[in-house]
Formats: sequence, structure tokens, C-alpha cells
Amino acid sequence: MKVLLVDDEQKFALMLSKRLELRGFDVKPCFSGEEALEVLKKGARFDAAVLDIKMPGIGGVELKQKLSLLDPNLRFVFLTGHGSDDECIREEDIEMICLPKPLQINTLIETLHRIVGESGGSEKDKKL
Amino acid sequence: MKNDKELFSYESLAFFGRVNASISHELKNIMAIISETAGLLNDITEMATEGHAINSDLLQTSARSIMEEIQRGFKTIRQMNRFAHCVDTPVESVRLEEILDLVINIAGYLAYSGTTRMRSLKNEKGIVVTSPLLLAAVVYHALIFSYKNSGPDAEIEIDLSQWNDKMWRIAIHGFNIKPFQTFPDEHLEKIAGSIGVGIQCDRFNNRLDLDVPTNLDDYSIQSDGMTSAN
Repeated sequence: MKVLLVDDEQKFALMLSKRLELRGFDVKPCFSGEEALEVLKKGARFDAAVLDIKMPGIGGVELKQKLSLLDPNLRFVFLTGHGSDDECIREEDIEMICLPKPLQINTLIETLHRIVGESGGSEKDKKL
Repeated sequence: MKNDKELFSYESLAFFGRVNASISHELKNIMAIISETAGLLNDITEMATEGHAINSDLLQTSARSIMEEIQRGFKTIRQMNRFAHCVDTPVESVRLEEILDLVINIAGYLAYSGTTRMRSLKNEKGIVVTSPLLLAAVVYHALIFSYKNSGPDAEIEIDLSQWNDKMWRIAIHGFNIKPFQTFPDEHLEKIAGSIGVGIQCDRFNNRLDLDVPTNLDDYSIQSDGMTSAN
């Protein structure tokens, strides 16, 4: 599964990317919404995008709208370090799936499988 | 609000709440990084038990990351502690540089904050008698206004200088005021007025000037929360 991961906390994005890669995911980490948009504009395509909600510049919710215009098939999961776990429910978009930070990697993986409808990452690259 | 006293109490509490929320967000981010790094260390251990070679570079990077985040956490807690002590004394002699440094740090936890640099001109001491909490609240709101009127890569500058023997000036610039944006609102103007702080929003030159009296006792607080010089 190809995953776009966008979080302005660079270390968080890199560590999570590495952990997902060990589980067979093909991950592209980006550290801003602007960088993520550039990646898609250059033609890269992903099965799912994991977006931090609060970022400088383009935040996660606005980024979802912009990314969807570039790839209508992209599926989304949001991450939040703010407030309660159901923060996203307050957003207008009822389809938002939001996971709190610090997150459980298994929860993220289950969520990614559920929204993309795949059974897992590429077995040949899977180390865990 | 029945009166200004209630307004100030509410605004002080609201300010505390906002700062608390941004600090807790910062701590959550730190915990998230430590959590992912610890998870990665666990992954490496599991892989080693299954016969995979240990990547020593990754181990070293992970250990360093945890140590750096712990230091970041301690720094955040120190700022939280400094902020908590703002309410120790309603009015006291404070160094403006320290108030500005504290506010720059706590405002820096906001997702939309930019880089902020402070310059104290001529090594002046900037000691004033004021309400540390209310002054911090006024500067905090001014910085938020600056961030919201600038891009994510903007560098906000704060110049501190003695305007005259009774007044210090905090000049904030490095942003572009968007159309229809005004500062301050009525509530903040009252709060600033209650400690004798004058606020000028210069749309033409894109700057905010906060004039802070050297001694709050030189001002009398009127019933509407505004002040006048004695």
C-alpha cells in the first residue's frame, strides 16, 4: 500500500514512516501541506494519505480538499495532538477519520486497511 | 459581563486556558515522537530476535531522538512553570525582556506561529512595574495577530526600546496586515488600558506598537478600565 504521510513534526513523520515501512508499506513522508501538494502535482499517486490536522500554512483539513482535487480516489486519515479523540466529529466533513497522538500503530494500520480495502502491505518488503 | 472586573477575570482565565491548550499540544507532540521512537526500538529488537541484523545507525538515531525530545519536554515544562508564576503577584517590578521572551516561547507552540526574534536596543534594562499576567496577555494577542497576518515562514521581529522616561515601546513588525483585520478588539483594548498600555496598529507600515508605562502607579484606572496619566 502506498501512503502519503504529512506532519510538520519531522521526527514524528520519519519515525512513523520507518515503522510502516518495516510492515511493508511504501511511505512518502512530507513535512508540510505545500510539499505534499507538490508531490502529487508531479504525478505521484497514493492509496491513502495520513494528515496532521494542525500544521503551519495549509492545515490537514484544507490539504484534504486540495489533494482530493488532484486525486479523487485518495483516502484520508487524520492525526491530531489536540483535545479529545472525537475532535474531528466537530468538523463539517462527517467522513473524517481521526486518530489521536500518540497513536497506536496497529490502530493506524487497521484503519488504513479498512479505508483502502487491502489486506496489507507488500509481503516482499515486510519485516515485521 | 456585569463589569470590567468580571471581564478581566474571564479574560485572564481564558488566556490561561489558551496557553494551557497550546502547551499540552506541544507536550503531546513530544510524547508522540518518543512513543514512535520507542516503538521503532521495539521493532528493531523484534527483528533482531528473528535473526535480522541490527542497524546500529538507526539505534543511535533513535536514542538521540529520545534524548532530544526529553530536553524539549523539559524546556516546555520550564516555560509552563515561568508562565504559572506570572500570577504570583498582581503588580510587580518585571523585566520587559523576560516577559517578551516568555510570551515568544509560549506563542511559539501555536501551530501557525512563525519565527520570532527580539531585539533589545542599546542593552536597556526595560524594568517596569506592571501586572505581568495582563501584560503577557496583551503581548500574546499581539503576536497571534502578527502570526495570522503573515505566512508560515515569516520572521516576526520585536524591538524593545525606551520611548521616554515614563514609557517603553514594544514594536512588532515583519507581517502584512490583511484587509478588514483590526487590532485590538474592544476587550483587549480595555485590558491593555487597565495597565496603561497603549496600542497603535499602523496599517500603513504594518506594525504594532505597544507602549508600556514604566510604572503602573503613574496611571489611574478609570471605571471603564481605561487609564489616564496622573
